[in-house]
Amino acid sequence: MERRLFLLALALGAAGRNAVAADFAPVLPGRRLIFPADHGAHPDFRTEWWYATGWLSLPDGSPLGFQTTFFRVRTGVGEDSPSAFAPRQLILAHAAIADPRLGRLRHGERSARVGFGRAGFALGQTGVWVGDWRFALDGGRYRAEVHADDFACALELQPAGPPLLNGQGGFSAKAADPRHASYYYSRPQLAVSGSVTLDGKRQPVRGKAWLDHEWSSELLPEGAKGWDWVGLNLDDGSALMAFRLRDGQGQALWAAATWQLAGGGARVMRPAEIIFTPGREWRSPRTAITYPVEWRLRVGEREFGLRPLFDDQELDSRRSTGSVYWEGAVRVVEGGREVGRGYLEMTGYGERIRVG
Amino acid sequence: MSGQVMGWRRLAPVFLGSLARRRLATLFSLVAIVLGVALGMAVQAVHEAALSEFDRGLRNMAGAADLQVVGPRGGFDEQLYARLAARPDVAEASPVLEVEARLVGRDESLQVLGVDAFVLARVTPQLLPRADSGDRFAIFAGDGVFLSRAAAERLGVKTGDLLRVQAGSAEVVLKVAGDLPALGDDRRLGVMDIAAAQTLFGKLGRLSRIDLRLRDGVDAEAARRSLQAVLPDGVLVETPAAEADQAANLSRAYRVNLTLLAAIALLTGGFLVFSAQALSVVRRRSEFAFLRAIGLPRRTLFGWLVGEGAVVGLLGGILGVAVGHGLAWGALALLGGDLGAGYFSGLAPRLQFQPLASAIYALLGVVAGVAGAWSPAKEAATVAPAQALKAGDEAALHGGRGHPLFGLALLAGSLAACAIPPVDGLPFGGYLAVACVLAGAVLLLPSIAALLARLMPVGGPVAVRLAVARLAAAPGHAVVAAAGVLTSVALAAAMAIMVASFRDSVDQWLTQLLPADLYLRAGRAQSGSYLDEALQARIVATAGVGSVAFTRHDGLRLAAGHAPVALLARPMSAAGGGLPLVGQPLAVNGPSLWISEAVQDLYGWRPGQQVELPLAGKPVRLTVAGVWRDYARQTGAVMIDLDSYRRLTGDRLVNDAAIHLAPGADALRTANALTALAGPGVLELAFPGEIRTITLRIFDRTFAVTYLLEAVAVAIGLAGVAASFAALAAARRKEFGMLRHLGLTRRQIGWMLAQEGALAAGVGVLAGLLAGGAIGLVLIEVVNRQSFHWSMDLHVPWLSLLTFGGGLVALAALAAVLAGRQAMRQDAVLAVREDW
Amino acid sequence: MLEIENLSRSFNGRSVLRDISLRLAPGEYVAIVGESGVGKSTLLNLIAGLDRPDGGRLRLDGEDYALHDEDALTRLRRDKLGFVFQAFHILPHLNVAQNVALPLWLQGVERDAADGPARQLLDAVGLGTRGDSWPRELSGGEMQRVAIARALVHAPRLVLADEPTGNLDPANAARVLALLAERVRAAGAIGILVTHSLEAAATADRTLYLTAEGLRG
Repeated sequence: MERRLFLLALALGAAGRNAVAADFAPVLPGRRLIFPADHGAHPDFRTEWWYATGWLSLPDGSPLGFQTTFFRVRTGVGEDSPSAFAPRQLILAHAAIADPRLGRLRHGERSARVGFGRAGFALGQTGVWVGDWRFALDGGRYRAEVHADDFACALELQPAGPPLLNGQGGFSAKAADPRHASYYYSRPQLAVSGSVTLDGKRQPVRGKAWLDHEWSSELLPEGAKGWDWVGLNLDDGSALMAFRLRDGQGQALWAAATWQLAGGGARVMRPAEIIFTPGREWRSPRTAITYPVEWRLRVGEREFGLRPLFDDQELDSRRSTGSVYWEGAVRVVEGGREVGRGYLEMTGYGERIRVG
Repeated sequence: MSGQVMGWRRLAPVFLGSLARRRLATLFSLVAIVLGVALGMAVQAVHEAALSEFDRGLRNMAGAADLQVVGPRGGFDEQLYARLAARPDVAEASPVLEVEARLVGRDESLQVLGVDAFVLARVTPQLLPRADSGDRFAIFAGDGVFLSRAAAERLGVKTGDLLRVQAGSAEVVLKVAGDLPALGDDRRLGVMDIAAAQTLFGKLGRLSRIDLRLRDGVDAEAARRSLQAVLPDGVLVETPAAEADQAANLSRAYRVNLTLLAAIALLTGGFLVFSAQALSVVRRRSEFAFLRAIGLPRRTLFGWLVGEGAVVGLLGGILGVAVGHGLAWGALALLGGDLGAGYFSGLAPRLQFQPLASAIYALLGVVAGVAGAWSPAKEAATVAPAQALKAGDEAALHGGRGHPLFGLALLAGSLAACAIPPVDGLPFGGYLAVACVLAGAVLLLPSIAALLARLMPVGGPVAVRLAVARLAAAPGHAVVAAAGVLTSVALAAAMAIMVASFRDSVDQWLTQLLPADLYLRAGRAQSGSYLDEALQARIVATAGVGSVAFTRHDGLRLAAGHAPVALLARPMSAAGGGLPLVGQPLAVNGPSLWISEAVQDLYGWRPGQQVELPLAGKPVRLTVAGVWRDYARQTGAVMIDLDSYRRLTGDRLVNDAAIHLAPGADALRTANALTALAGPGVLELAFPGEIRTITLRIFDRTFAVTYLLEAVAVAIGLAGVAASFAALAAARRKEFGMLRHLGLTRRQIGWMLAQEGALAAGVGVLAGLLAGGAIGLVLIEVVNRQSFHWSMDLHVPWLSLLTFGGGLVALAALAAVLAGRQAMRQDAVLAVREDW
Repeated sequence: MLEIENLSRSFNGRSVLRDISLRLAPGEYVAIVGESGVGKSTLLNLIAGLDRPDGGRLRLDGEDYALHDEDALTRLRRDKLGFVFQAFHILPHLNVAQNVALPLWLQGVERDAADGPARQLLDAVGLGTRGDSWPRELSGGEMQRVAIARALVHAPRLVLADEPTGNLDPANAARVLALLAERVRAAGAIGILVTHSLEAAATADRTLYLTAEGLRG
């Protein structure tokens, strides 16, 4: 998703400028994704991420939202440096827990250059780590492990079926211009089991999650101010990924959506079939940014309402990646009843985002 | 009791009025105390400023690190970082490569830290760089350096400018990419990416330091022990505080020595108060008797007389604190935070008013005043009023015979004190010995005075006979005047002997250590500059060069909690030729090691002993072949043969070269050819004479402050002579009048006074020189050895001491005559009649 | 009332005073005359409490000296005795009025409060205008007049004068002696004038002769 492209653009800033010397691999239409090889890292590309989000329930039945994200970044710096510390590849990781009883997010992050066993990634199979944070595909299940200051999780994510290829067989366009594109597949309806430690108390959890794996070398199109993205697991076994890019006036520049059908198979929607309509707004007391925390989402003939687990799921990572955005657990409502759960991400509602 | 309090106020004019009337004597006492307090305060304030700055700098550098892994100056294997970072008890590890980069073409260097910006935030956030472009990853740029404000100011550069620095013997250009906003203003420092630093400065695979943050709940000491177990030899785990302690310890001895000198100045001040009060009490005997007769209680009298001393002391203390801060300010501006001793380079300390220390020093003034007034007050209070009321019962000063036995016991005690080993790195035994010698000498002073009087010729002019008779019959006055002279002369003589011995030894040491014709180096030993093998070959091949001895410098960590020990590798003969050896060298089989006296003291190594030296991360067994004297490295230095070093470590680089010219070669032409071997400003060339001059200049600068203290102490001592004679001359007007009646000319009376002054000062000078000689020996053999771990050869500057002593006696005679002039001018008849 | 009974004092086995007795009532002013070395000063020191007798008894207004320790004797002198010395003992760093006020200061009277009585007494000895002068500006006679004022300023019960004119020329001496007698009588105190001069002794009400044998009327 370009949402993450945006995050990285913010984080990396002039890495692009410094990258003149480096030869980043291009994203081309028509390349067939091959698994499990494409579960692994693609270090020739500039950016890559494994982005897991989902709903968990504690033994007492109370819900939690979670996200764990591992970015791999090729900086283009020090490509020919003889030093073992050369910052050619970086791993940046984020994790957050949305706990309605706390009413806001717990957040943690790690970053390191690849080398000395401090951070790294695997080729040919999902495997990425920084310090004692790791995310890997192991025996058909993903394992996610993070240790932040005020929480920790150790989760196993069991895929329900083959990867869901977004766009044209995994070639996901971000604009009319084919230069702005990525390789992008999702793993919806992941069955989660494991444990979450909150306030020093470790508790077993179960739930449903969503994984995105995406890699690219090219930045976002000019004129994009922010984006809105959802990954929704519906109760009937189907799943929906949808995003749109907004311009400065809040108008959609581009939109895309992919249906995972309940019985297997996928359906890719055309941009015109996707309409994001903002609803109730919430204003952050910390940053004074106003977010539409409720939405109506129309995809083809279906229309869903999105209701947040709680309002304050704003993530302030200005200290690390330098951006403020809203990323949180939402319930999916259709015809007045809950039909699924998922994650909503909204960026670019604050100050104008500097890209590149 | 409030009545008593009011009583103090009521009687104030009776006593304080008297102080005001004896302005000259009071002023001298006051000045002495002001100077003593001021000097102590200044030393304290300057060092506190420098140390707190140093400490803050270190804390900035260490940040939130719980432990630091440090190693030899050349660094250690970077794989240790992977090993330590993976340890379960380590939450975060921050690798640091520290380089002292010399700026090309200027006599200046910049401390550059190669860091991993990602881990800084969690370990040492103070070092986090800020790119001017707002670009977070600008830190990774291969040539970008981020400067602290102090560094940018000192170097006169701003973001975007280029900085030419020396790496090895080559030149690299760095770009100033931003600043270090979280770092204190006073630290001169540059930060760059660790990969870039390793690459640019030829330190691939090396780290200088790893800062560790431990997981919550992990005990730092336990972690230190368990981590130390996995580290190779010569790489140590330390708490960040240890480094601050090492720096503080290093300068502490110097600071304590200075403070001690200030204390002696204060002591001299106390003696002046004593002599002023003692003389005043004598003069006011009948006054006190009268006051006692009309109903002043004994205790009140005693209290008031001590109070007089306390008032002088308090005034002196307060003025002294103020003057001390002024002196400190000036000293910081002129000499820097180490008063010229070179402990805190790269720092710009700021003076801060310290209420507690100031109060303590003001209080010390009061203590000096009270101590000086105590015994005279005691004597005044015990005077029986009935006798003292009789007119004419003055003059008898109870100097007494002193306490010769107690004095001798103290002198014996000082010998014993010299045997006390250092406590916490400080030579307290030495200080105790100094105090014992001084106190003993003061107590023996009356005996010395009596002895001197007996030795004086009986004949001679009448004025001389009168003066000698007075010394023999009433030594009290002379003793009182001489006590101040004694302390100041003892101090001055001791310092003169110590400094002369030190300077002489340093001079000889330099001559032994610098036998070559030319010295060439690629920058300071600490810096990242070196001469590589190609350059070494070209140096040897340069026309005019006869033979070359290369030296490699490194720093080794021998034990936790100790500052690094310098390692010097240079061609060595089996007999240690060319080294300033202490004692005979041993014939040793296998690789031999030559240790400095500091290593001998600090690590207990002895000649003949087999020791392990961590070279290139491996323990290497070497035999100590001899001990050499090293005045350059207080924390210790070891020397091994260059070939052995190369064989053991594989390190082929060197830092400097001692060059003997080929016969008939022109020194200047050869020097020019050598400098032309590398880029302009890269190689530094020095002639031994130059090095010697510079070293001795630094030496003299270091001791400038002590010269100042000496001068002050001597001035105080002289002031004491003048004050006591001024006080007594007034009281002796009747005596002078009577002598004039008997037919003495004024000139003869003046001559008599001069003799008396000379005799009093002579007693003080003689005793002071004796005591000073003893103290000088204590300073050389105990204080210096224990503080700085170096020995020196005794060198007594006889001529200077004799000149100084003679001059002081003459000055004292002059002071006595001047002080007595007032009394001599009085009409003789009137003086006899007069009661006051 | 000063009561002296069988007072004796010896120094190093040499008896100086033997069996001296004397009773003086308030308002009595006596002169004690004797040759040098006969013990005049010793007697005076004993009466002043500056020395202790070997035998006999001293009482002033019923207070027995023997029962007083040194501090109590100091208080007795401070509160009940006034002194005039041959050597004046004027403090050079206090002005004239302050010198006179000194006994009051010692009694605990504040400096301001003591100034009035001191100046009254100065007036009484004819130095009313010299209160702010410094001692060095005074002649010998004037100094002794200051001393007389100081001896009386705190209304003592007993005034002791030891050769008060020894340092003065005859004209000044006569004036000072007359003034002393007048002021002691005016104060209603007991006065004891110790002198070797019969002329001086004549200014007292009666003269007692101190000899080796004792005190005679």
